[in-house]
Amino acid sequence: MTSTETPPAAGPTASDERDRQPRRVGFSQTLGRWDVKFSPYLYISPFFILFVVVGLFPLLYTGYVSIHQWDLLKGQGDFVGFENFSTVLQAPIFWKSVRNTISIFLLSSVPQVITALIIAAVLDANLRAKTFWRMGVLVPYVVAPVAVALIFGQMFADQSGIINQILRNLGFAGIGWHSEVLPSHIAIASMVNFRWTGYNTLIFLAAMQAVPRDIYEAALIDGANRVRQFFSITIPMLRPTIIFVIITSTIGGLQIFDEPRMFDQFGRGGADQQYLTVTNYIYQLGWTNKNFGRAAAVAWLLFLLILAISVVNYLITRRIASEGGAKQKKRKKVSA
Amino acid sequence: MRKTTRKFLAVTAGVASIALLASACSSSDEPSDNTSDTTSSSAPADEPVTLKVATFNEFGYADLYKEYMTLHPNVTIVDDKADTSDNARAAVQNSIATNTVTDDIVAADGDWMPELIASSDFFADLGSDSIKDRWPTWKTDMGTDSAGKLIGYGTDSGPEAVCYRKDLFEKAGLPSDRADVAKLLDGSWDNYFTVGQQFMDAKTGAAWFDSIGALSQGMINQLEAPFEDPATDEITVLNPDSKAKPVYDLLTSDKVLGQSAHLGQWSQDWTDAFKGDKFATMLCPPWMTQIIAGNAPDQTNWDVADAMPGGASNWGGSFLLVPSGGKNVEAAKALADWLTDPVQAAKVFVQYGNFPSQTAATTDASVTGKTDDYFGGAPTGQIFSNRFAPIAQQPFRGSHYFPINQALSDAYTRVDVDKTDDSASSWKKFEQAVKDLS
Repeated sequence: MTSTETPPAAGPTASDERDRQPRRVGFSQTLGRWDVKFSPYLYISPFFILFVVVGLFPLLYTGYVSIHQWDLLKGQGDFVGFENFSTVLQAPIFWKSVRNTISIFLLSSVPQVITALIIAAVLDANLRAKTFWRMGVLVPYVVAPVAVALIFGQMFADQSGIINQILRNLGFAGIGWHSEVLPSHIAIASMVNFRWTGYNTLIFLAAMQAVPRDIYEAALIDGANRVRQFFSITIPMLRPTIIFVIITSTIGGLQIFDEPRMFDQFGRGGADQQYLTVTNYIYQLGWTNKNFGRAAAVAWLLFLLILAISVVNYLITRRIASEGGAKQKKRKKVSA
Repeated sequence: MRKTTRKFLAVTAGVASIALLASACSSSDEPSDNTSDTTSSSAPADEPVTLKVATFNEFGYADLYKEYMTLHPNVTIVDDKADTSDNARAAVQNSIATNTVTDDIVAADGDWMPELIASSDFFADLGSDSIKDRWPTWKTDMGTDSAGKLIGYGTDSGPEAVCYRKDLFEKAGLPSDRADVAKLLDGSWDNYFTVGQQFMDAKTGAAWFDSIGALSQGMINQLEAPFEDPATDEITVLNPDSKAKPVYDLLTSDKVLGQSAHLGQWSQDWTDAFKGDKFATMLCPPWMTQIIAGNAPDQTNWDVADAMPGGASNWGGSFLLVPSGGKNVEAAKALADWLTDPVQAAKVFVQYGNFPSQTAATTDASVTGKTDDYFGGAPTGQIFSNRFAPIAQQPFRGSHYFPINQALSDAYTRVDVDKTDDSASSWKKFEQAVKDLS
């Protein structure tokens, strides 16, 4: 091979050689090469085939539905272009639902990630009956969301609920957990936090246990206390996990459905849409108003919103976490 | 009077004889002159068939299924009960949207009938001479499409009476005897609110009624066409001559608001309020009596008065439908026919309290003789039978009835329960919600 390639002047012969070469290779060898080239794709293809069928196709089909008039029972109607989008964007209910979604998302995800980190750090310490405590934080996650909503619905009842009774006994006025905007968001966010904090705690805990112990020992020798260790070692080392948790809780938080739907007797997000989330709005458009076209348009807008917020989140968390990492490296160099 | 009684007797006798014939399980089922009906109904008499019946809440059919399977050994009935009526509604809509039949008989609430009638091709024609006079016209009309095809057999109904608290009436110096209260509350809505003012002036600490939304439901059901034009299906509720607006204005007036307990119907607070002394009266269809008894099992002062302000009115009631694409349409029709027969309907009322919609059943001795210990031994069967007889109509429900009614209920909640809006601003939001529908 090298000899044929050395005289570059003999152009035609070289190309002849190259043409002839594949013929000499046996079929089994070709198969072998295909095996190396394509098998990996074949092995991961079940996921992608499933994804195309249950993920990508519905996504694109929703886009197709959103540019038509589409009745739940009568099916496809006329092509209307972006009319569904423009009506929805002009409807005050849509903007209210966006406001509620973002507000409930912030009230749930932010405290949830922070408390999950703290609880995980506590559980990571040397506790007696470790497994008991670790299983304990996961118990709320096992409770069905609808059951959680029923229990919290009773607790947050405006007149007869236990929380308002306690407040009144303490001399405060009762809070309109259902009628006012922010209290209703706090009530719903508390249900979400109750369920998901433990789940995130376990993810953080798993990541914390993968942090090499000698780093902590070194820090201890350097005289760093627990808090300092937490901020200077644990959090920077957890960076990929924190990004993962924040992105999944962003996606989950922006799709909150069960809790606001079960929060009152009608499930329509309150008489003044105080706690109507975007997903509830989609359900209402599609199933109550039977207008699939508009529901599909809102579904796409929600998709874009989640995408945008995820990107912002990713950029922020990457910055915060990498700054922490850089600091730590610097410190190491100094101490060395 | 005598004439109607005789007619009822004739109907009862006729229906009973048909039921006897049907239950005898002979090969010559019904003396029907519809040829296609006789051939097909006699064909599957011995073939084993499995019928799936989709219901929700409590239709009270468990014992009847057993009875039917004993009478028809070839029939196996599978009970397919949905957990909530909302899910049952979604299931029916999905099966229409995808044109698939999963159940041989589907139960549907009266509120969903307009949207099912819009897809009446999906369901089998249930009309026949034998059931022609089984229900009053207003009930049959709810299950009939514009071409006159009957797609639903009526099951129960909701003739409204007024439930009240004896002790609170006494405390306010009002008569508390069942007959006296009926006399006191019989008449117009103005009369009801005038009595309410007397009650409020006595300062018992309780409100006169539970919820404005609940009263609205009763008043809307007394209108001919509350939201839409029966001829064109156009939304008329926002027009200057809107029929629902005067109802709204009356209910959200200061006088009426002052008599409300400010509870959202079906809310947790509303459910909890039955035990205490929160309100003195509420509109009360037969099925509501079970809800009151369930919400306040230890409260002994609830009673029922044979009266309905503003005239007789119906709230609630369901239907059985047979999808025409099913495998055993004829067998399913026969079962639905049998289940909604007045004889069976009377049994369901005696056992479960679902008041029948079948004219003959409402005057059956077993129905009118029923008393309710929870309501101080009140003759509930006779009271609701009296409330049922004068019902003449149901409001027209067009294709937007369901979402408009929800938007109106939200409008009341904003004024009555949440107090976040006054009458005018809440109506503005209602207007916006209705405009968003089209």
